[in-house]
Amino acid sequence: MMNPGNLVFIFMVCVTMVGALVTVVSGSVIYAMLGLVTTMFGIAGLYIYLNAPFLAMMQILIYVGAIAILIAFAIMLAGPFYKRPKEWTTSGKLVASLVVSLVSFFVFFKLVMRVSWGEGGGVFAVTTKEIGRALFDRYALPFELISLLIVVSIIGATMLALLSKGEK
Amino acid sequence: MTETIVNNIADVIGWETIRTVVGLVGVLVVVVVNALVLTWAERKVSAHMQRRIGPKEVGPFGLLQPIADTVKLLAKELLTPQNVEKPLYYLAPVIVFIPVLVSFVVIPFDARLQVKDINVGVLVILAFSSLSVLSILLAGLGSNNKYSLIGSVRSIAQNIAYEIPLLLSLLSVVLMANSLSLRDIVEAQKGVWYVFSQPIAFLIFFIASVAETNRTPFDLPEAESELVAGFHTEYSGMRFALFFLAEYTNVFIVCAMTTTFFLGGYQGPILPGIIWFFAKTYLLVFVILWFRWTFPRVRFDQLLNFSWKLLIPLSFLNLIVTGGLLKL
Repeated sequence: MMNPGNLVFIFMVCVTMVGALVTVVSGSVIYAMLGLVTTMFGIAGLYIYLNAPFLAMMQILIYVGAIAILIAFAIMLAGPFYKRPKEWTTSGKLVASLVVSLVSFFVFFKLVMRVSWGEGGGVFAVTTKEIGRALFDRYALPFELISLLIVVSIIGATMLALLSKGEK
Repeated sequence: MTETIVNNIADVIGWETIRTVVGLVGVLVVVVVNALVLTWAERKVSAHMQRRIGPKEVGPFGLLQPIADTVKLLAKELLTPQNVEKPLYYLAPVIVFIPVLVSFVVIPFDARLQVKDINVGVLVILAFSSLSVLSILLAGLGSNNKYSLIGSVRSIAQNIAYEIPLLLSLLSVVLMANSLSLRDIVEAQKGVWYVFSQPIAFLIFFIASVAETNRTPFDLPEAESELVAGFHTEYSGMRFALFFLAEYTNVFIVCAMTTTFFLGGYQGPILPGIIWFFAKTYLLVFVILWFRWTFPRVRFDQLLNFSWKLLIPLSFLNLIVTGGLLKL
């Protein structure tokens, strides 16, 4: 049962979980961001394990290369960096986070359990070309809708920046 | 006798593993030798451009100077300032090395000399190059020094701005080669190098990669006259040497990438491919060294405007035109 592939899988899951845990409990923004980066690498590792290198590289490129760096940029402008704020947990926050995490856990659990995963075991590789074709053919509408959403958010951010500039 | 031993070992752990391990060791050797050569070349080139002689005491033409420098750095005490944030401070010089090593894995030095040909090779290099920004960020935050912090803020703003034209200009090359594998891209340049069919992409890519390596004229993150040494102000000894090594290796990598994507990689007449590859790469390295003594450092607003208002629209235009022409 314990072949090298399984070990890799378990290792990647551990990396993902440890990263997520650090993100939640560290209490300082910069370590939380590092935890997030670790999680993203763990997920990318899982994609590689599932024979999807393109997805793995996109995961790193977008989540580590763009999003984590942007978060870091925001942190640098804001500070404080690595000191845990004095009252970073209150009982109210604790209860709220517990409720949210339990509810989302059960929702995801239900959804995952409902899917029939089939036999599996067959080795197949989805090439980058096929992903590209699928995006512009079968899933063209959702793909375009997502880009529309991004355009709307960019315009919104620009407008917010312009408006707050006018107030000063 | 030796052959049977080698074969026995190979049977146990597999040829593919051996190939990867040998390749990685080779990569480490190239990294170190390249850094030694580049420190020497930087001092020699800058000296001659200023009508000086440069290092000449240690060895012939001062060739052994970098080795003497390395010994000095190795022997130095590792100072850790009192108020640094220790985990971040220690982590930064280690992380800076990951993207450097990963990038070397996918670069084809010759038709058969490549540690591993990954079918999304271009993405591997681009994805991991973001880690060097992360390490600059950690160094800046962990050092607890305002010069370091300002240096890393600048570095991040710069990297966000220049990553986009870099990616976009590469996309038009990928469109033409119809593949994300570096070897396929080189093979696609058998007839015409992409520097001739994609001159705009070449210029954008080269400018953006000089900016990504924090070299003059884009060296604001470590501008000596304003920021002491930027993000590595608080580092000394071997930790400083790691940043230094990574910087020179990055210079080599961007030149190797430019060679691979635009100058036909290892292709060329008569001489073996590896010689062509290194000749083209070091020619570009020389151009980057040349930049340093030709251009003054740009101002920060000029730097960002240049990328957002010129390079990005231009690379979008280039991509659209390339896509249109390919479909016609």
